[in-house]
Amino acid sequence: MTAILARRPVREAAELARTTPGVLSGFLLALVVVGLLAGLFTALGVQSRANALTALATRSGPLTAAAEEIYRSLSDADATANGAFLAGGLEPTSSRQRYEADIAQAGNALAIAVAARVPADVTAAGSPLATLSSQLPVYTGLVETARADNRQGLPLGAAYQREASNLMRTQLLPAAESLYRAENAQLAADQDNADGVPWLEILLALVVIALLVATQLYLRRHTNRVFNAGLLVASGAAVISLLWVLIATLGATSDVNDSRTNGSAQADTLARARIATLNARADETLTLVARGAGKAYQDDYVKLNDSLRTLLDNARGAATDSAVGDNVAAAIDDHRAWSDAHADIRAADDSGDYTSAVRVAIEPVPDGAVVAFDELDGDLRAAIERTRAAFGAEVTDGSAAVAGTVAAVSVLAVVVAAASAAGIWRRLKDYR
Amino acid sequence: MRTRVATALAAVALTLAGCATVATTTIPTAPAQVPVPGGAAPATASSAPAAPDCGDVGASLRPPNPLPAPGQMPAGSTMARIVQRGKLVVGVDQNTLNMGFRDPFTSQIQGFDVDMARAVAQAIFGSPDAIQLRALTSDQRIPALQNGDVDIVVRTMTITCDRLQQVNFSTVYYDAQQRILVRKNSGITGADQLAGKKACATKGSTSLNTLLALPSQPTAIGVADWTDCLVMLQQGQIDAVSTDDVILAGMAAQDRYTEVVGSSLGDQPYGMAIPKQNEDFVRFVNGVLERVRTNGTWTASYQRWLGGLLSGSTPAPPAPRYRD
Repeated sequence: MTAILARRPVREAAELARTTPGVLSGFLLALVVVGLLAGLFTALGVQSRANALTALATRSGPLTAAAEEIYRSLSDADATANGAFLAGGLEPTSSRQRYEADIAQAGNALAIAVAARVPADVTAAGSPLATLSSQLPVYTGLVETARADNRQGLPLGAAYQREASNLMRTQLLPAAESLYRAENAQLAADQDNADGVPWLEILLALVVIALLVATQLYLRRHTNRVFNAGLLVASGAAVISLLWVLIATLGATSDVNDSRTNGSAQADTLARARIATLNARADETLTLVARGAGKAYQDDYVKLNDSLRTLLDNARGAATDSAVGDNVAAAIDDHRAWSDAHADIRAADDSGDYTSAVRVAIEPVPDGAVVAFDELDGDLRAAIERTRAAFGAEVTDGSAAVAGTVAAVSVLAVVVAAASAAGIWRRLKDYR
Repeated sequence: MRTRVATALAAVALTLAGCATVATTTIPTAPAQVPVPGGAAPATASSAPAAPDCGDVGASLRPPNPLPAPGQMPAGSTMARIVQRGKLVVGVDQNTLNMGFRDPFTSQIQGFDVDMARAVAQAIFGSPDAIQLRALTSDQRIPALQNGDVDIVVRTMTITCDRLQQVNFSTVYYDAQQRILVRKNSGITGADQLAGKKACATKGSTSLNTLLALPSQPTAIGVADWTDCLVMLQQGQIDAVSTDDVILAGMAAQDRYTEVVGSSLGDQPYGMAIPKQNEDFVRFVNGVLERVRTNGTWTASYQRWLGGLLSGSTPAPPAPRYRD
């Protein structure tokens, strides 16, 4: 220690620090360094928030929707294919077209989900996207074999259809569900990144302002000037930067919060209600396909139906938009109608009237299950689209709120550094 | 000028570097995805001890004489309770061609077994349509009877001493032989060549027990329905299906690249299974079967469903045997 102090440059610096010009040089150095660094970190902080908002708008938002669409189209495809094995006789063209549309849509949504990932995510063993990509062609192959056998009047066709449905229910749908959950969790994480209070930015701004105040107090005490123009400009710039960051980020935070309550949280409840609806419909169909040996499916239906009722009630309570509220109210009515139809199906089947049970289940008759199911699914789809639109609008507002902030805080940081340096430099020149 | 040249060189270098990266990227190999029928799994021998020898399994209870007329069932009898309900609830198969199967065109379950069940409904109600069919897998048959879900099971069910401890059986209404079904080019000609091969049977069937006891010790795969075995055979996941000749003939009729080979692995006498306690119903059903054998119903049904599947002329119905 003494050795260091004894060294000449160190000793000279220590002597200089005791003089006013020395202290002023120190303030100058500190203001330039701290001002620029604070500007850099503030800009980075705001940039990461802007990135999170961009991710919400372009990645996690659309991908959550794509994952839900994969689940919906796969589940509907399976229910439709199974339904064709209930009716007997030639498969109706409308049912075939519905199946084809579902498969096309599943492939389409899957391509969107895959395109957003790096290859390693997609090919990792057991990843949902790997399962979906590799098993979907296998599934469609089995369904076509089932169809070909069925058209020749062979009971073997039903066995291929069972194998296809088993693949769907044990592998494809669980993969689609875990993909949906992962995308939804990513969306929530992006929202958390975008809506935090900007503590670091506030702290940095306060440090710069405190340093400026200290410099000005020192100057006032040790020179006869009350005001220093450069330091005043720097102080103004620092305060403007702080206010800019506060207004922009707090605005964005509130938009992100709204995107949650008016958008994604409701969309998630509704999407889970839709998944429960689709699964319950599959159970209803499979109970009949099993011809009296389908108790496990019926038990699953009862469980899903209860959770569907809870989800719909939650969705009604959470609705913030009257149009969404109307959709959910309609969904609750249609759910009731479907439950009544289901009770009719079970009563007919349990009393041995299988033909009537199948008619109520798959034919578009009034008070039939398929009409109520399609309407319920339509209500949920409309409500989900509305909440997703609300989500998108709020996220766009949030992006607009932080737009230009990075450039502004960068310029203001340079102003703080330059004006401080200029202001102090004028005083230092007095000591020449 | 010099800067511009440098920039151009840098761009070329970057492009080359980019190409090099793409060229060295390897595409990982994804394993093939083999679908399996729901619940298909390797089977192991059951640990339950075999029932002691119970003598002639085909001997059942003697029918009443005369048989009550349709709609006039004795008060308090099982048949009277069925009449009260309005329908005879029968456990059948919907997957076994021409024994009990769902016709894809009409969606109706039909076949030889279903004809036999309809004869019972005819005798109780005077109408063969007073019947409710419940599709059962092999391993659901005995639980369904014990829970009272069905009045009777008519589903290619072999009478065994084990099963006689849990349910009652009618007299034998069909005599089957267990054999094996293989792909035509497989080179397998009998059960002795199944060593190291995979063979399929339904869970809860006597066929599966026979497979597990074979000296050639094939790997036994248990599935839910018989057609699941045919699916796996077509997909090359198994080498053979082993069960009763009449079931195998139904499979061979659906796939002309398969054939039934080898000698019989054992007699499989089919009976209608009835809950243990309903002895009055067993006697009644045996009376119905007497009539079915003698009035030509049996022969007509055999000719309609099985004549085209099995070679040889129409056999005589199995003669009933009674133990009291």
